[in-house]
Amino acid sequence: MSYVEAVLNGLMVGGLYGLFGLGLALAFGIMRIVNIAHGEFVVLAAYLGVTLLAVTPLPLPVVIVVVAIAAFALGWTLQATMLNRVLGPNPVPAMVITMGLSIVLRNVLVKLYGANIQSIDIGPLQTMGLAFGGLSIGLLPMLIFAIAVVLFVGVNLLLTRTTIGRAFRAAADDYEILETLGFNRRRIYNAALGLAVALSAVAGLLLAMRSSFSPFSGVERLLIAFEVVIIGGLGSLRGCFLGGLFLGVVQVVGLKLYPNSGPLFGHLAFFVVLLLRQSNLGSFLAWGRK
Amino acid sequence: MTLLALENVDVFYGDLQAIFGVNLHIDQGEAVALIGANGAGKSTLLRAMIGLTAARHGTVRLDGHDITRERCDLVARRGVAIVPEGRRLFASLTVEENLLMGAARARPGPWTLDAVFALFPAMREFRHHNAAELSGGQQQMVAVGRALLTNPRLLLCDELSLGLAPKVVGEIYACFAGIRATGVSIILVEQDIVRARSASNRLYCLLKGRVTLEGASDAVSLDAISQAYFGERRQ
Repeated sequence: MSYVEAVLNGLMVGGLYGLFGLGLALAFGIMRIVNIAHGEFVVLAAYLGVTLLAVTPLPLPVVIVVVAIAAFALGWTLQATMLNRVLGPNPVPAMVITMGLSIVLRNVLVKLYGANIQSIDIGPLQTMGLAFGGLSIGLLPMLIFAIAVVLFVGVNLLLTRTTIGRAFRAAADDYEILETLGFNRRRIYNAALGLAVALSAVAGLLLAMRSSFSPFSGVERLLIAFEVVIIGGLGSLRGCFLGGLFLGVVQVVGLKLYPNSGPLFGHLAFFVVLLLRQSNLGSFLAWGRK
Repeated sequence: MTLLALENVDVFYGDLQAIFGVNLHIDQGEAVALIGANGAGKSTLLRAMIGLTAARHGTVRLDGHDITRERCDLVARRGVAIVPEGRRLFASLTVEENLLMGAARARPGPWTLDAVFALFPAMREFRHHNAAELSGGQQQMVAVGRALLTNPRLLLCDELSLGLAPKVVGEIYACFAGIRATGVSIILVEQDIVRARSASNRLYCLLKGRVTLEGASDAVSLDAISQAYFGERRQ
C-alpha cells in the first residue's frame, strides 16, 4: 500500500469519523447535552446490524435504513423520557444520565453477545477493489465514503432548507423565543437527539463493515467523536467533516508507518492541534519567565 | 370585549417575588402602555402573559380561557406574540430565516412575508444578511416582523426604543397605525413616557411590582404619572 493509498483510505474512513463528530456536535450544539453514551450507541448500531443480517433475509441497504430508523426512535425516546427532565443551565445531570446509560448498554451488550471481537461479513463486496493509475482502492470504502458525504450534504440541506432544521439552529440560539413563536421545544429536542443518534448509528454500522468491534469499542468511538468536534470547531458542519478527514488520514498514514500504533497517531495529532490552538503561546512563555 | 385579563397575579423568580397582585386587562383592538422604572416588573409581567414565567397565584385569561399555567408555545398558538426586550433575533439565522420561524407555526391571518416586507420596505434589501450583522433599528424591524408573522391577536412589545436613535424609534412607531389597523391588540412596555402616552389608549404604571396608576392615556396628567412612576408623595 503506497502512501497515496493510505491518504485516500484515511479520507474514506475520515468521512465516518466526521459523522461520529456530527452526532455529538448536534446534541451539544442544540441541547447543550454532552452525550457520554454516544460511543455505545455507535456500537449498539453495529450489533443491531449484525443481528439483523444474521436472523433476517433483509439485504444490507435495507438493514442500514432499519438501523437508522431504530436509532432515531432510540434517540427520540431517550430525550423524551429522560433528558427533557433535566433541561436547564446545568449540563451535569444530563452527563450523568448518559454516562450511566453507557455503562448499562455496554454490559447489556456483553451479556447478549459476549465480550468477543466481532465483525460484519457482507460477502464479496468486502474484498472488491478498483485499480487505476497503479492505485487500488477498495470498493466498500468508496461506497461508505459516498454515503458519509451524502449524509453530510443531507444534514446541511435539512438545517438550511426545512423548518425543523431551522428550528434546530434557532433553538441553539434562543429557545425561549422559539417557544414564543409556537414551537414545542421538547419535541424539537427529541427530533434533534433522534437525528444525532441516527447519524452516529449509520456511521457505526458502516465502520463495523471495515473494522472489528466489541462491546467495549464505544469509548474509543466516543473519543474519536470528541476529537473531531474539537478539531473541527463546535457548531460547524464543515468543521466536523474536515476534522473527521484529518483524523482519518493521520490515523491510517500513522498505521502504515508503524502498524502497531493503533489510534496513537490520531490522538497525537489531536494533542498537537490543541497546543497550536493556544494562540496565547507568547504570553504563556512570558509567564514562564516571571 | 376583553381579550386578555390578569386577576390578582403574583409572579416569582425562585423565592423572589417580582409582581404583587396585579389586575390588568386589554380589549380587542386596544393599545395599552405599561410604564415604570427599571425593575418595576414590566418585562416580568409580559413573561407571565405569554407563559414564559407562569404566574404563581392569580389567573391569566385569554378570551376567557385560563392560560395561567399553559405552556408558552400553546399560548403563542392561541395568538399571543412578543417582541422581546433586546430584540433577541436568532443570531445564526438570516433575516429571512428569522421571519420564516415566525411564519412556521402561524395562525391564519393577514400577515405574510410580503405583508411584512410592505410594512418595512428596507427589510427586502437585507433579507439575506445574517441577523447578527444588522444595526439595532434593522434588528428591531425584524423582531417586530417575526412576531407579526405569527398573526397574533395580542402583540407584546418590550422596550422597542431601547438603544435606538430617536429617528429610528419614530419610524418603528409610525408603523403602529398599520399594525393596529389589522385589529391586533398591543401591550407596549416603554420607558419613554411621552411616546407611550401618544401610542396607547390606556396606560398602567408599575412601581416595584404593583400597579400604581391606571387610566386613559390622554386623561392622566404627567404629574400623576410622575408620582406613580417614582412613588413620591405630592408636595
